[in-house]
Amino acid sequence: MADDRKRLSTGLVVTSKVFVSSKNGGATKIVREHYLRDDIPCYSKCCNICQLDVKPNALGEIPEFVLSQEPNKLSNGHPHYVIIDTNIALHAIDLLESAECFYDVIITQTVLDEVKNVSFPIYSRLRALVKAQEKRFVIYHNEFNEQTYIVREKNESINDRNDRAIRKSVEWYNKHLNTNNSKTNVDIIFVTNDKDNYRKAKSDGLDARTLTEYIDSLPNAEDLHDMIPQNITSDEQDMPGETSYPEYYSTARILGGIKNGTLYQGILNISTYNFLEGSVSVPAFKKPLLILGSKNLNRAFNSDSVVVELLPKELWREPSSTIVEEENVGEEGNVDDENEGENQVSTKIISDKERQLLAQEAMRSTSSKELQQQEKRLQPTAKVVAIMRRSWRYYVGQISPSSVQDDSSNVARNCFVILMDKLLPRIRIKTRKARELLGKRIVVVVDSWSSNSKYPQGHFVRCLGDVESAEAETEALLLEHDVEYRPFSKSVLSCLPEDGDNWTVENNSNPEDPKFAKRVDLRDRLVCSIDPPNCVDIDDALHARKLPNGNYEVGVHIADVTHFVRANTALDAEAASRGTSVYLVEKRIDMLPMVLGTNLCSLKPYVDRFAFSVIWEVDEDANIVKVDFMKSIIKSRKAFAYEEAQIRIDDKTQNDELTQSMRILLNLSKKLKSKRVKAGALNLASPEVKVHMDNETSDPGEVEIKQLLETNSLVEEFMLFANISVARKIFDAYSQTAMLRRHAAPPATNFEELNNMLRARKKGMALSLESSKALADSLDRCMDEKDPYFNTLLRIMSTRCMMAAEYFPSGSYGYPEFWHYGLAVDIYTHFTSPIRRYCDVVVHRQLAGAIGYEQLDLSHRDKNKMEIIVKNINKRHRNAQFAGRASIEYYVGQVMKNNESKQEGYIIKCFNNGVVVLVPTFGVEGLIRLEHMGDASTSIFDEDKFELSFTDLKGNNRKLAVFDKVHVHVRSVKDDTSGKRKAQLVLV
Amino acid sequence: MSRLELYSPEGLRVDGRRWNELRRFDCRINTHPQSADGSSYVEQGNTKVICMVSGPKEPSNKSQQNSSGAVIEFNVSIASFSTTNRKKRSKNEKRTIELNTTLERTFEQSIIRKLYPRTTISVNLHVLAQDGGLLAALTNASTLALIDAGISMYDYISGISAGLHDISPLLDLNTLEESGMSFLTIGVVGNSEKLSLLLLEDKIPLDNLEDLLAIAIAGSHRIRDLMDQEVRRHANLRASKLVK
Repeated sequence: MADDRKRLSTGLVVTSKVFVSSKNGGATKIVREHYLRDDIPCYSKCCNICQLDVKPNALGEIPEFVLSQEPNKLSNGHPHYVIIDTNIALHAIDLLESAECFYDVIITQTVLDEVKNVSFPIYSRLRALVKAQEKRFVIYHNEFNEQTYIVREKNESINDRNDRAIRKSVEWYNKHLNTNNSKTNVDIIFVTNDKDNYRKAKSDGLDARTLTEYIDSLPNAEDLHDMIPQNITSDEQDMPGETSYPEYYSTARILGGIKNGTLYQGILNISTYNFLEGSVSVPAFKKPLLILGSKNLNRAFNSDSVVVELLPKELWREPSSTIVEEENVGEEGNVDDENEGENQVSTKIISDKERQLLAQEAMRSTSSKELQQQEKRLQPTAKVVAIMRRSWRYYVGQISPSSVQDDSSNVARNCFVILMDKLLPRIRIKTRKARELLGKRIVVVVDSWSSNSKYPQGHFVRCLGDVESAEAETEALLLEHDVEYRPFSKSVLSCLPEDGDNWTVENNSNPEDPKFAKRVDLRDRLVCSIDPPNCVDIDDALHARKLPNGNYEVGVHIADVTHFVRANTALDAEAASRGTSVYLVEKRIDMLPMVLGTNLCSLKPYVDRFAFSVIWEVDEDANIVKVDFMKSIIKSRKAFAYEEAQIRIDDKTQNDELTQSMRILLNLSKKLKSKRVKAGALNLASPEVKVHMDNETSDPGEVEIKQLLETNSLVEEFMLFANISVARKIFDAYSQTAMLRRHAAPPATNFEELNNMLRARKKGMALSLESSKALADSLDRCMDEKDPYFNTLLRIMSTRCMMAAEYFPSGSYGYPEFWHYGLAVDIYTHFTSPIRRYCDVVVHRQLAGAIGYEQLDLSHRDKNKMEIIVKNINKRHRNAQFAGRASIEYYVGQVMKNNESKQEGYIIKCFNNGVVVLVPTFGVEGLIRLEHMGDASTSIFDEDKFELSFTDLKGNNRKLAVFDKVHVHVRSVKDDTSGKRKAQLVLV
Repeated sequence: MSRLELYSPEGLRVDGRRWNELRRFDCRINTHPQSADGSSYVEQGNTKVICMVSGPKEPSNKSQQNSSGAVIEFNVSIASFSTTNRKKRSKNEKRTIELNTTLERTFEQSIIRKLYPRTTISVNLHVLAQDGGLLAALTNASTLALIDAGISMYDYISGISAGLHDISPLLDLNTLEESGMSFLTIGVVGNSEKLSLLLLEDKIPLDNLEDLLAIAIAGSHRIRDLMDQEVRRHANLRASKLVK
């Protein structure tokens, strides 16, 4: 390619980039202009010339020079800057982020672009590093600089050209900073693990080092050694013949296969009870495709995005009814492949045509009902042939004691890390500190999984602390659920009001301000809040009064968070990325800084607060006559706890105005509820429990099942009422981007198994799924006179068959699909908890825009941006729930440790080698294996009846079936391999 | 959502320009002296346009005559090879008709029509390559060709596009940028701040519009100067021939 540079009158040089893109088989030549310039600064504070010639950006901001004047020194005393190669960014991003090394790093545009093409998450992390400035990372746009831009030569590959471009930048920096331009001389070190690039850089006379060499030259090399990723250390001794997985297909074959319908793409779900069984749901099939055995899983992790290929019909299976957990299979790490016989994947070559026939057959068999009983449960099986996207992240686990060699030499040794997540395989890491780290919770990262290695290779990141210590366990579960728990950064805190805790409404009431003038003064209304005891972040408050015309005025007042959290500030960005507050048993991870959440926004009693109010006029039967939305000032008269409020309402002697208005609220709430139930709202149940903490020792004290009072439902009804009214209003104003929440109807297949169980075990009971109303009614009908808990049990089990509710911008679905199945309303959103949910913050802004209070920020009017927000908060919401549950589980385990007891439990699942029992008092469920209950050889498992019969330890015949009530001994045991405490149940 | 970084935090755009920089602007006047009364060729980045003006002439159809002033006809034809993917375009495509009308309305204001009663001035535009800023390039080419044809105008009309990326205004977008943000095209009368054309097909928040217009007007003035240079260069060339 010829270099056809042309200088323009403005001083820019224009050239063109020509490349060929192939889309859908055809090739197109694309020519783009490429402007080169001479005013790209080096961003170094040492430099004398670049600082004289800086150009502001579109907002008038001048670029900051970040690279330090006195950079860190190597162990030989030379100050240095680092330029990294792409492979370092891709494989050692943890090291780059570590606070111990890698300061003053220059990332060239070439590297940045390459990283972006390979892994967008890593690109985002690099960008975040640059933005934070703490580690002094800069991006140098070498491709746009006249002096460092190079043209690909004839017969040079793109990779070679890019490598050369990076070397050119290294050379440029060297020349630029080590001549008279700069006050001090700075070494420019080029870190690369690419052998070819390393060699060429050396021969060009550049200071090139491999990652290991670079780390070795740092003063604190010792501590960093374990963190060097494994796959790129050069002296990797392979372990040949350990096992070999099939190679993945080539990209071209995958794309072709997906297009002509022989390959399918989906997310892999590993079964909770069998880590060697996964399933992939693809739209082409009604039933998910089963993937059995480690050969077929082919190195895929749970929740990876994979491409699968169907197996021939002889190999189709039923989902296994056996429980397999890794700890029982691979104790020693060299155990051979698992018991399945179908590992020998057919080696005969099947043409694409045959595969298509196979696919058609599979579709027929999953849809037609006239198949024989036996074939009915057959599920098409498949094997993983490629992985589109890895779900790899930080994992928490502990070193398996049996894998640590007794050897006192200080050499890095391989050992296994068993992860907390049972669905994932163990990870092999290389460390010198294996024995030190025994019994600690550690964080590891997976680097690679080559086809000849039985286990994935990873490296150690850091140590959290002792297993079972509250801090380590809490941090572990926050990490496992990807919850951001670090303190708020300086830039975030600087967005808070200057007066901090002394902020008051009076000081901030400026009648001249047009926005303040729009606020309505509601301080005369008798507002009160009702929350759980000891609640400090009070989101909502209520009031009600009788109007002269006989109707009622009801107001819901929500903390005016958006008054403080302005769009496009660092505070807003942080809240958006956290998405929600996370509630753990002993602590709360806030979405907003303390001062806002618990003071300025919180609708505390006896003080004036800004609020966002929804005021209805409703008639005697709680029908809306009129609804108004306004920003307001309120003064709460009292903050009640649920119980306190209940007592006050029930106390006939109290007849003051506030109590009266609470009675009105309660009355109306009952009417609202009955209307909702009539419409078909579901009343589901969860086995949630609450852990009481001992105040003094902060040890967990006792476990309690959550209790519901009338006042709970009072608050809930009005919040629902407000959410629905607000949803209608914002959808009216912003038909494409209104932030809403939907809950899809569950597909009938989700309930198939539950209904089969009911049919087999409980005569005449069935759940009907035509509508939420039908389901609610059928749930009500399923009562067992002998066992009042059965109904609750059924509700718990149905909850697990439901779809998850999700946030969405209104443009992504048609109006009929807005339906919220659980609440049985046509449109719904979240408006009432802006202190702890980001969705509500967006809704507040949209509502403020809709009522003309202020202009709505652009980002909430842009569908693409809303999609990004929504995707994140859906994920955060889910993670927060999981983290909360995991925290309860951990503490329940701690409580049980001290109180071993006999409890009632219910069988909720039956396998041929065990049963799963739910214990309502503790909200735990556990597996009881057949071996622990009796003689395994005598067992008969009747799959149609969900019944397992066997001879128990005392020699009696026993039958266990789904829904049976059993008595179990509950105690908690620590699992030595995973370090996780879990409930052990023993049948009595 | 495109993962392209249209405007990097360091202040550089996809093609290496800063926010307020124009693309390469090349123009030629009197390119087809034999086949038209006035002609021009404009390259704005990789957008390339030929313009040929014929007229003032007697209209082919009597009914089109207007005794108060000239009738101005625009006729844009877009070559099928002008985009990266070949696409056959019919003459009556809505998009093209819209371009014609927009241009007609723009130039009706700046041509002194009353000087040419009962005549037609037809402007034929051929788009050879497209890379964003099409309407702006068409406007500039028309201005130059009309000048070449010696048709009296009040002043230059110079066109430019500008878009809003997040809250940063960017000048003179190429195709990649146009597909990633909302943008407007303006035509400015001479060195004034009067607009004879403003086309905005997306939403732009009112608070950001003023900034956007400000850089677009500044850009137009630069384009006007470049066109003026070319006109003068050509005029000098002709004048020197006359002296001989």
